[in-house]
Amino acid sequence: MDISKLLTKPFEPHPASPGASRYTNAVLRNQNNETVKFYDDLIRGKQCVVNFMYAECHGSCPAVTQTLKTIYRELKDRMGKDLFFYSITTKPEDDTPAALKHYAETRNVDLPGWYFLTGESYDIETIRFRLFGMDHPGFDGDLTLHGSYLRIINDGRNSWGMAQAFASNRNILKRIAWQDPPKSYAERVVESRARQILIEQEVKKYGYRRDVMS
Amino acid sequence: MPNNEAKDRPEIESKTENTISRRSVLKIGAVAGAAGVLAPSMLTSKEALGFQEIAEPVRCDPPAPAASPAHHPFVDNFSAPFPCDDHPLNPQPTEFPNLGAGEADRAPHPRWTQFAPAHFTYDMSAQAGLHQFHSDFGQTYIWGFNGQYPAPTLFGKYGKSGLVRFRNNLPTFTTTFGRNEMTIHLHNGHHGSESDGFAGDFFGTGFWKDNLYPNVYAGIDAYGGNPGVDGVGDPLEKMGSFWFHDHRAEFTLNNNVLGMNGMYIVYDSTDPGHENPSAGSLQLPGYYGVTDFPLILVDHKFCATSGGRTELVNAAGGDKFIVNGKIQPKMTVRRRKYRFRILNTGPTQTYDLTLIKPDGSVGTITVIATDANFLEHPLPVDAGANAGNSNSTTTPIVPGGLRVSVAERYDIIIDFAAFNAGDKVYLKENRSMFVGNPSPDPLPAGLNINNVLMQFNVVNREPWFPVDTPPIPSTLCTYPTLPATDNTWEWQFVLVGGRFRVKRPFDTVGCTFDPDHSAHCILQGTTEEWLINNNIASGWTHPVHIHFEEFRTLKRFVNGVEVPVPPLMSGRKDVSRMEAGQGALIKMQFRDYSGRYLIHCHNMAHEDNFMMVRWDIVPDQAALDACIADQQVCELEMKAKENYREEVA
Repeated sequence: MDISKLLTKPFEPHPASPGASRYTNAVLRNQNNETVKFYDDLIRGKQCVVNFMYAECHGSCPAVTQTLKTIYRELKDRMGKDLFFYSITTKPEDDTPAALKHYAETRNVDLPGWYFLTGESYDIETIRFRLFGMDHPGFDGDLTLHGSYLRIINDGRNSWGMAQAFASNRNILKRIAWQDPPKSYAERVVESRARQILIEQEVKKYGYRRDVMS
Repeated sequence: MPNNEAKDRPEIESKTENTISRRSVLKIGAVAGAAGVLAPSMLTSKEALGFQEIAEPVRCDPPAPAASPAHHPFVDNFSAPFPCDDHPLNPQPTEFPNLGAGEADRAPHPRWTQFAPAHFTYDMSAQAGLHQFHSDFGQTYIWGFNGQYPAPTLFGKYGKSGLVRFRNNLPTFTTTFGRNEMTIHLHNGHHGSESDGFAGDFFGTGFWKDNLYPNVYAGIDAYGGNPGVDGVGDPLEKMGSFWFHDHRAEFTLNNNVLGMNGMYIVYDSTDPGHENPSAGSLQLPGYYGVTDFPLILVDHKFCATSGGRTELVNAAGGDKFIVNGKIQPKMTVRRRKYRFRILNTGPTQTYDLTLIKPDGSVGTITVIATDANFLEHPLPVDAGANAGNSNSTTTPIVPGGLRVSVAERYDIIIDFAAFNAGDKVYLKENRSMFVGNPSPDPLPAGLNINNVLMQFNVVNREPWFPVDTPPIPSTLCTYPTLPATDNTWEWQFVLVGGRFRVKRPFDTVGCTFDPDHSAHCILQGTTEEWLINNNIASGWTHPVHIHFEEFRTLKRFVNGVEVPVPPLMSGRKDVSRMEAGQGALIKMQFRDYSGRYLIHCHNMAHEDNFMMVRWDIVPDQAALDACIADQQVCELEMKAKENYREEVA
């Protein structure tokens, strides 16, 4: 099997991906009132950032949405192609697709590749536990506690990471990049050589190297 | 240790049940200075091991099985991990990263002209391997250094610099829960930040990176020159039992569960790695693999898979306790003193260890070092007269128990001369594991087989076995005097709004782990007092680890009230165990190097969830100003977001 082809093929899940057994195939509706299956349509083989919110939330949700909006600008070349944002409501009883559409439009975030999702509350609760559960009742039982985490999934790589929405945008972007599809050895060698110049400049300027790997 | 090692020396095999191997004997010779000549046939050639095609495990999670398979106690032999071969490196190590030859990006090695060429060079390849954790089990897929589990032990000597080439030969494409990127931290070496395994500095498969470990005492600038046989620096800063492990941000737990950690032992004239009288030697039990053993603790969960293998389950806590890679091993000990270098590699659990005598009572263990640093005076720990020598401030500890949280090391001496030949002595852990079979030997009263870590079978010393060492000296070292404090700082380890983080008092929320921005800037050569606080009632224990130099604990607090520093916490350490509600005032120096270092909770599930912060040492005032300006970036962004949140609320 030529692994490099497998890795660059879009939307091919990693053979070890737990698939719907972890992510569920719950039927959700997006802000355009389209029906989607959570794993098959949204996660399978894709890289995505998932957060939980609700439209009437006046706590951290608007700030998180604002953060995602800022980050979206940086990533817009990839958005909707191999990178997606999913904002899932924790109050599906209030947040109909129409309400989410209104929410997205008033905040100018009704953008390609960014879905606001609603569905059955049991399904949403299950997804929330599967993505953020830490087997800690005081932690997992409280709706508000996961408000500012972003779950970053790359099903094509079977990897997931996490970012805090209140971290710096650069930090969040880096954490999303940490889940990017792996680069080939040759690509990394080219990058590595280009970086050498940067290192030497920095060392000359500061006496030591201040950045990390960028 | 591979079984075939001792097979061609049956007399050793039968006499010692593998606790001594040819290689250990060799090591005695080499370390004792009796230059051993290695016959070619004795060398374990890395080339011969090759990069075997090791089939990826059949996944067995989720759903995780309720319990691991049963095993029979005391079947496998306890042994020390292999000593790693000193290995010439090709291409030669260079000051600047040899990117053209496949080295990963890094800063140049500082003090290169002072410490190159290295006296010891090691070639450590992180790669997939198979290891049998118990004879009842099938092979288990692991990621080990040179494919071995536990990793081969590295050795160093003060004054002789070492260089380890860590190669990432992990599978390019993996179906395991590990992440095939790595950055190796030497815990807790005094060296440049490019060799420190900074969590954001991970590199991918096919690359390698040289870590330069100068094996010097801290205080190179202040003490300069070459004051003694052990090289530069302040000899009072001596350390011994280091360990190295993967520090990949977000995947430290996963990669360490797969096996990416090992011991690194550094000798000097006080602790020379042999027992012969020599200048300055404390004459502690010191033959690696014979009378001086790492005791590496880890818990895992296993499941039997269709391929006949027994695979690791991706879990933060296991139901099998493993000692040096074996489940409930047995060890033949002679009636003499032994040294054990206890290391808890976690990934998350804290151990309460007790030595159980044949009559069921608690035996005495003598602690000689905490986190690689000798105590000034050895401290016996038992349930009787020495019950006060605990290392806990609040939680009622098991009487006579030694509490070891993740990444803590305790060097202990057990004197088996106190027992009779034929006695069986047990090392007990307070938590229970799943065994599934009764003990083959009657256990002491009150001891449950589920609590036993390992069994010691006491025998008389054979004539060829090293004679007992003299009594443990009453004074092992002198602590260095710390200079006046230049600055104070506070780190709070908190769980706020469901977020694990390290918070500064002035932070509104606290920065998350940000590899690009320092959260605290320190001028090189200064001394600071840090208040470390776990006073937000969360019920969690946080073993707080600080990279770079060892600290002293000045004060301990429980719920804000000062309490005496427990004797076992009063020495030099690099992990400060913070149980819920506890705080500590520690003091440390920042000498000789500048760069990026970390403070983090060493519960690997917590550090992977951002309970980790970068701090910087900077060489001069201009760099300090630049660093402090940079330090505001994270806080300003966080504040802007917080303000926005308040606005819309």
